[in-house]
Amino acid sequence: MPVSAFLVLAGVLFAIGAVGVLISRNIIVLFMCVELMLNSANLALIAFSRALHVVDGHAFVFLVLTVAAAEVAVGLAMVITIFRNRETINIDRISILKW
Amino acid sequence: MEVQLPEVSLRMMAPELFLFVWALVVITFDVVTKRAQGESVGYLTMVGIAITGGILAITGEGPGFGNMFYNDPMAIFFKIIFLGAAFMAVGSSFGLTKQKIVNHRGEFFGLMLLSTVGMMFLASANELLTIWIGLELTTIPLFVLAAFFKDNKLSVESGLKYFIVGAFSSAVMVYGLSFLYGLTGTTDLLQMKLNLATVHLTFRNIGVILIAAITMLIAGIGFKLGLPPFHQWVPDVYEGAPTPVAAFLSIGSKAAGLAAFAKIFVNGLSAFHGVEMAPNDWGKLAGIVAIAALILGNTVAIRQTNIKRMLGYSSIAQAGYIMIGMVAQSALGLSAVAFYIFAYMFANMGAFAVVTAFEDKTGSCEIKSYAGLAKTSPMLSICMTIFLLSLAGIPPLAGFLAKYFVFAAAIKQASLEGGQWLYWVVGAGLITAVFSLYYYANVIKQMYFSKDDSPYRVGLQAPAMLVVLIGLAGVLVFGLYPEPVLRFAGEVPSMFGFVSP
Amino acid sequence: MTLDVAIFFISAIVAVFGATMMITVRNPVASVLYLLVSFAAQAVLFIQLGALFLGVVLIIVYVGAILVLFLFVVMLLNLRGGEDLGQPSRPMSRFSKYLIGALLLVELVFVIRGSAGGTDQTVTGMMGPVVETFGSVQDVGMLLFTTYLYPFELTGVLLLVAIVGAVVIAKRETEREAAQKKQLVEERGHSSEEKVS
Repeated sequence: MPVSAFLVLAGVLFAIGAVGVLISRNIIVLFMCVELMLNSANLALIAFSRALHVVDGHAFVFLVLTVAAAEVAVGLAMVITIFRNRETINIDRISILKW
Repeated sequence: MEVQLPEVSLRMMAPELFLFVWALVVITFDVVTKRAQGESVGYLTMVGIAITGGILAITGEGPGFGNMFYNDPMAIFFKIIFLGAAFMAVGSSFGLTKQKIVNHRGEFFGLMLLSTVGMMFLASANELLTIWIGLELTTIPLFVLAAFFKDNKLSVESGLKYFIVGAFSSAVMVYGLSFLYGLTGTTDLLQMKLNLATVHLTFRNIGVILIAAITMLIAGIGFKLGLPPFHQWVPDVYEGAPTPVAAFLSIGSKAAGLAAFAKIFVNGLSAFHGVEMAPNDWGKLAGIVAIAALILGNTVAIRQTNIKRMLGYSSIAQAGYIMIGMVAQSALGLSAVAFYIFAYMFANMGAFAVVTAFEDKTGSCEIKSYAGLAKTSPMLSICMTIFLLSLAGIPPLAGFLAKYFVFAAAIKQASLEGGQWLYWVVGAGLITAVFSLYYYANVIKQMYFSKDDSPYRVGLQAPAMLVVLIGLAGVLVFGLYPEPVLRFAGEVPSMFGFVSP
Repeated sequence: MTLDVAIFFISAIVAVFGATMMITVRNPVASVLYLLVSFAAQAVLFIQLGALFLGVVLIIVYVGAILVLFLFVVMLLNLRGGEDLGQPSRPMSRFSKYLIGALLLVELVFVIRGSAGGTDQTVTGMMGPVVETFGSVQDVGMLLFTTYLYPFELTGVLLLVAIVGAVVIAKRETEREAAQKKQLVEERGHSSEEKVS
């Protein structure tokens, strides 16, 4: 297997995640799309690490995973609050501000 | 197995470590005193920031953790800006903690300090991973702070929007960073620079992936800076978030993003200076973004009726001016950028402090409500006028010098070979500066030339007064006597090692 | 077709399928489960690339913790599919969003293929053998606790920030706090009435 195959796959997954962020109207799905994007970056990092035969990328991925976990915690807390406030998590309805 | 740590010097990290511990102290203090302390939590925070500033002054330069944490003049200069912004934001939020944030004062100030810690770590980072984590550490507390009024729909909504944009942009940025890592095989900026030059000489076709990485990174950092086309969140978040948080956001997080930009682009990707593959490939892209920011920020701000939204669009435009210095890609340009943020901090934090005091008193952020304020609160109106004029860049205030240095740096670089496109950026900056006068003057007009007297008399609490006075002093003193700051700002690029074209 | 190639294609197809289904199904619970499938396939790819430790971490952290947290929130808010998603309000802008996504995809693939079509052998060449310990716990752990100790500690600070932030935002107010706040708001409403005549 050439490493570039993994890079293409990472690109595809990243694009799916980006499209998901743009089209999804459920905030939770939107967060999951961001997670997918982050993980596609992880895949690219690991593929590059493999191609270069250095493990530094693995440390990068490990820390990206941790940061993603922290981000999700804050994001989901925010979803709970907004649901308490509005009884909705539809992104189109959460727009008092003009966006 | 032999364990080898890089050279560790906790002494170099002392300001960050102290501020981190202090943030925990503030949170614990609030909890231990059963949240009954009114203003003492805020004063405790301000004292902590002041002590950190003192520690920073005696820390000096040197490596803290190998090359990953390095106190260079740029780091120290930016840390001063971060601490100043945090100090002024905390000072202007006393009214807020008295009225609205009753139960979580400690967390409010603590998160502000933790965000500042993230910015300070970022300023010292010399490595992609640390830069990214520093940016995250800066923004995650800010998401929470923006949504801090839990029962206010606007605030929660602005926090959520900021979160979505922030998370998306950090994902885009990691993807860009992964490309850079793949190209160079290292995360260290210095090593990256060397490797890029080698890679470029060895392979002809590597440019495409580098351009993709550059685009991703400009998008990622552009989101944080609020540069078009990634600016939509800025006015919304400024309007919905608590006003001192919006102020902190406009300086702290912007300066943090700019520090990251300077480190990754001006330093890390500067290997192409003088190499055939167009030295300014990222410069041109960033230049287009800067022009878009200038035009959009300055024109849309005219239509705004809410002063916080207006300041939001104005901050987009100011980011555009700062980017002019950045795309000059010279030592002079970087010094100009540092001076610009420094001057911008005083004017913007001052203006926001006045807006906060006005909002605490009247509950309104409409520009209309400022009508006739000069008659009931003359001193406050004069202060506000000076801040707005400095933002617009009127001599002899600091904002004028800042704009002048940025333009001068770009023009100097434009006169060199291959830099002619910079004239376009400078031209856009000069023309839109005229527009910007209009909307700043609009607020002044409301305050001074309205027939009716304002129904409000707005006073300042002691800490807010201190903030306004610091802002005034900064704007006036550094407008007339900028030499000490300029000398310091001149040292900012000293670690960057520019290759003259 | 060797085993290597077969593993890659099966995992890749599953990963892309899971991701696509995640953004298209309406039921949030199903969405989370499809993402789980996608991540499981990606974990296989991680291991195929020699990142044994990270593959396992991905399963433990993402599937075991983060996705469970997502599921937990979905259940907590009692969301069912479709009920709150309304009509696609702006079909035109929806189309343009797909277009942006498609362009992004095309660009990414072309960029990667373009660079791969170049001369960089490390990326286009077949994966060569690596040392046995590559990507093992010892290997990554050694790196994390020496060279990258500082960012590692920084993420600790970040996690603390996330805990404080999440608690502050999601916590309901106790009755005592609510009463305290109400009292303050009333005082404030009283004081803001004194305007200058």
